[in-house]
Amino acid sequence: MTVAIAARDIEVRFNPFIEKSPTLRRTIARGRVSKREEVVALDGVSFDIMRGEAFGIVGSNGAGKSTLLRVLARTLRPDGGSVMVHGRTSTLLQLGVGFNRQLSGRRNIYLGCLANGLTVAEIEDRLDSILDYAELGTAIERPMTTYSSGMFSRLAFSISMHLDPDILLVDEVLSVGDEDFRRKSMQTMLDLLVRSGTIVYVSHNLQSVEEFCDRVMWLEKGKVRNIGDPAEMVEAYKQSIKR
Amino acid sequence: MSTVTASDAPRLSAWRGYVADLWRRREFATYLARANLRARNANTALGLLWWVLNPLLLSLVYFLVFGVLFNRIDEQPRYLAHLLSGMFVFNFTTLSMTGGANSILGNMSLLANIRFPRLILPISALIEATVGFLASLLVFYLLAIPVDGILPGFELLALPAVLVLHVVFNLGLAALTARLVIPFRDINNLIPHLTRLWLYLSPIIWPITFVTDRAPWAAKWLVLNPMVPLVDLYRWVLMGDELASTSVIGSIAWAVAIFVLGILAFVRYEGNMVRHI
Repeated sequence: MTVAIAARDIEVRFNPFIEKSPTLRRTIARGRVSKREEVVALDGVSFDIMRGEAFGIVGSNGAGKSTLLRVLARTLRPDGGSVMVHGRTSTLLQLGVGFNRQLSGRRNIYLGCLANGLTVAEIEDRLDSILDYAELGTAIERPMTTYSSGMFSRLAFSISMHLDPDILLVDEVLSVGDEDFRRKSMQTMLDLLVRSGTIVYVSHNLQSVEEFCDRVMWLEKGKVRNIGDPAEMVEAYKQSIKR
Repeated sequence: MSTVTASDAPRLSAWRGYVADLWRRREFATYLARANLRARNANTALGLLWWVLNPLLLSLVYFLVFGVLFNRIDEQPRYLAHLLSGMFVFNFTTLSMTGGANSILGNMSLLANIRFPRLILPISALIEATVGFLASLLVFYLLAIPVDGILPGFELLALPAVLVLHVVFNLGLAALTARLVIPFRDINNLIPHLTRLWLYLSPIIWPITFVTDRAPWAAKWLVLNPMVPLVDLYRWVLMGDELASTSVIGSIAWAVAIFVLGILAFVRYEGNMVRHI
């Protein structure tokens, strides 16, 4: 088996501005009103993901899952460590489905594909197929401000899969779709795995992680707790949150 | 295959790849510019017209205050054309600055999801602003020809070259503004005040003779203001005014300096933009 993604000692720190009420007494006592405290979002995270593998990531809110996906998508540069990615990645993050919500769904197809490096001619070749897959009907001409979260994820998934990715990064988006679309998107992802594509799957829906993934990584406070068999990891993670 | 490490800032050898990546996505830049123009048209009744109306109305206010009330018309022949040309040129630069910064702040979801050369966003903002600027030049002649009897001369042939200089300068400034605004949003509140100060320090409302005649000691400091040579170039191109010998070299020097500084600062920062969502 060949490696699709190799991550070594990834470290990401954020510098949020910690506010403390600036009383005069404290100002005099400390000589300053506020100070910067670093938050470590990812701390020495290392793993390998193979081609043809569905790799799940579980962890509580703030464990660093979304940050990690941004590093893998290479939209966020880590403060330390390195990531090696073999192949074309396509990203389906929770936050950024509507590229420009003022514009219609159709124009957002163009926007998303153009940003990913496709030409207008290439998009027009795929347009019918993208529209068919998303099954949005006439809603495709409406501004995306009018879309429900399920409609968002339909369009986003359809666009992502039509970018012919070798690696798909999925963050939670599919949990909002209806049952029909969920089944259809699962089938499409399985097809990608059969073609030795790679899927990194982040979800709070632990049952779907356990069923779908080949291996699971359990993240806690920016650190890798364990990597291994999905059932074992999910069970261990469940135990930890019960306590 | 691609590798990302902590020190991912493009080295000199990587610039060729960056530019190739930009060129590959040229359709993205124009599509984004068109989409934004369309959205602007849809949101307000007068739409794109505001691009021309804003500097035009501001010019008319200054025309009333300084031209009529303070009677500056004697001092600067063809005052309205002088004012309008300067105001449109200045407006192009300030709108590029704010547009460039907003192109990043307004597209954070795109930035978080998709890896592409971020410079595409300010470039598309600049395409949008250039369209508005060209429209305002038509309005300039529409008013300057009947009011001040200005006819475009052979100098107008130099417009494309001057426009290229101006766009290069504006892109550098837009990239620089975006680099500063993303981590320090406060700057967005400061920009209107800085640009107003810049406007008053530039020979737009007042004629350049204001400084050169009355305060010759200050004249040598004018070179510190990039608007001075740029506006001078435009007034030569648009209305056949006399061209100062230093304006060509001054404009080129400012454009190159700001462009290099802005692009370097922006591109080296690209991998950190998503931190500030």
